[in-house]
Amino acid sequence: MLDLSLNLAGLKLTNPTMTCSGTCGYAFEYADFKDLSQLGAFVTKSITAEERPGNEPARIVEVRAGMLNAIGLANVGLKRFLAEKVPLLKKMPCPVIVNVAGHSFDDYTETCGAMDGLDCVAAVELNVSCPNVKDGLTFGTHPGRLRELTSAVKKVLPHKPLIVKLSPNVEDITATARATIEGGADVLSLVNTFTAMAVDIYKRRPRLANVTGGLSGPAIKPIALHLVSRVYRTVAKSAGVPIIGMGGVQYWQDAVEFMLAGASAVAIGTALFVDPATPNKICDGLRQYLEKMKISRLSDIVGALELPGDQPKTAPYP
Amino acid sequence: MQTAAARDQYSSQVIENAFLCREHYRLVLRLPQFPPTEPGQFIQVACRDTGISYSPEREIDWVEGEPLGPSGVELMQPLGFLRRPFSLAGRSDGPDGVRLELIHRIVGVGTQWLSELKAGDTLDVLGPLGNRFRLPAVNEIPLLVGGGVGIPPMLYLAQKLKGKKGIAFCGALTRDLLPLTITGDVPAPSQDSTEPLNNIDEFARNGVAAVITTDDGSYGFRGFVTQALERYLDRTFPAGKQQGGRPVIYTCGPEGMMKRVAEIAGMRGIECQVAVERAMACGMGTCQSCCIRLRRDPARDGRAFEGKDWIYKLACTDGPVFLGKDLLW
Repeated sequence: MLDLSLNLAGLKLTNPTMTCSGTCGYAFEYADFKDLSQLGAFVTKSITAEERPGNEPARIVEVRAGMLNAIGLANVGLKRFLAEKVPLLKKMPCPVIVNVAGHSFDDYTETCGAMDGLDCVAAVELNVSCPNVKDGLTFGTHPGRLRELTSAVKKVLPHKPLIVKLSPNVEDITATARATIEGGADVLSLVNTFTAMAVDIYKRRPRLANVTGGLSGPAIKPIALHLVSRVYRTVAKSAGVPIIGMGGVQYWQDAVEFMLAGASAVAIGTALFVDPATPNKICDGLRQYLEKMKISRLSDIVGALELPGDQPKTAPYP
Repeated sequence: MQTAAARDQYSSQVIENAFLCREHYRLVLRLPQFPPTEPGQFIQVACRDTGISYSPEREIDWVEGEPLGPSGVELMQPLGFLRRPFSLAGRSDGPDGVRLELIHRIVGVGTQWLSELKAGDTLDVLGPLGNRFRLPAVNEIPLLVGGGVGIPPMLYLAQKLKGKKGIAFCGALTRDLLPLTITGDVPAPSQDSTEPLNNIDEFARNGVAAVITTDDGSYGFRGFVTQALERYLDRTFPAGKQQGGRPVIYTCGPEGMMKRVAEIAGMRGIECQVAVERAMACGMGTCQSCCIRLRRDPARDGRAFEGKDWIYKLACTDGPVFLGKDLLW
């Protein structure tokens, strides 16, 4: 019997596939196109205290093996989220993680505090790393501020696991990862998109109205993998804090790479736009991999990557 | 009991991918089943093979100086990543399933890949997506205004008019970029005529006469499709006079053209249904990238964007069809 289940800081998932915030709507937008009950967990679009219209179009542009987005956290805001989306989330056939963004301590604590008492919310993920919003403080790049924010949110969220999503647009991601853990994060998710741009060479203008956007898709996978591996080895493993790996995951092989590097679960974002069935296909592939490798529990491969100098842990290839 | 097909991700079979004119192809797809569709709706087409992994895990041998194998193909050769939205250009249902028709123009890597499809190939499509045109009422005269790759939804609309007399206005830069079949037995219209003729097969067979315009005068009226429309309206409905019914305008094409069409309609108090085009990633209302600015209407929009006189709507799920009078673009 192959076992894909896992425990993320008390949150039980039947399999390690999750959705990335901002790529799957608030609740049932994808319901016609994929079986949501087969997801390990569903992560909502970022919610902010106030409704946000988002950036001017053009908000996306495709680049080779990926895309740039500068949506600008367009969302319905906390009040409408509670009134219009929570009733839908109560019917979701898988655990729901609400992603929360903000531009001040009060914003974050107000929104996160409202999630603590909701039975339909399994966990909260903090978005401290949206690269496309110009107003407000940047939390994601400043370890001290990130530690304070995490601990402030933890206080208003005593009953739910807190996931903090890290930005790759920092000098040293282990510093922000460590600050987050010191602040009380239960789980880390990494990475968010990379700040990037594309140029219309005939108009001599940026192709996004926001000038820059976040790069996602297969193009960033090798970098994201490296960052997951580094955070796992340097900080998360010793602290016992699980990692949700993300960044360009498209095929089951990508998921295996992330898990070997130290991710307990993987989130799928941009690939959903191309193929909404991606999480299901990844689970099928993971089962085949386990069979081929004669491993019964998927969680056994988490962090099983051998680096030069490591004691050999795995059996030779069967 | 067989349940009706729901909107979903479907694997379709290419029946035909016919060259129409420079850069333009007509793609006919067959599906065992597909939900009911209406003109204005679109599908998201994967311009790549979703059935294979483009990043195989297999270790590959690389000989220096030789091209690399399939690993890393995304970075080795141009390949579209996201799906591309296409409005339906036609549909027919038969004993062997549903046939969907698209017209595509090579404008980049995705459509280049599409142009290379052959009969028998499979294509992954997602849909049907979006809202639809409101079909004309008994006392309405439909005027179909299409520009360039905005012409296809007008063809599907013509098919659904079921013999109701309509007039199509189609514009292109030049004759060989006009993805329509000009019938030989009608003399070519003169460069300054906006007289509707039965000279375009796709429209004529559905009882719709057409006015063709080209910017360079290489076929039909020399000028913009908007100029031809304006002339026609001034001639047929002078000073708001209605002859044989009330006109209703349907339009799809370049944004500048659609803005002008909406303006022309607005000045005359004519309803204008605009099928907008926006860059989009998902088509399912999740990525929020295909937003377009509309006048806010509290009755329609509830508490969304409270305190503002405008609202962003999504072309994929709120649209693609909006009323010209609501659009702030």
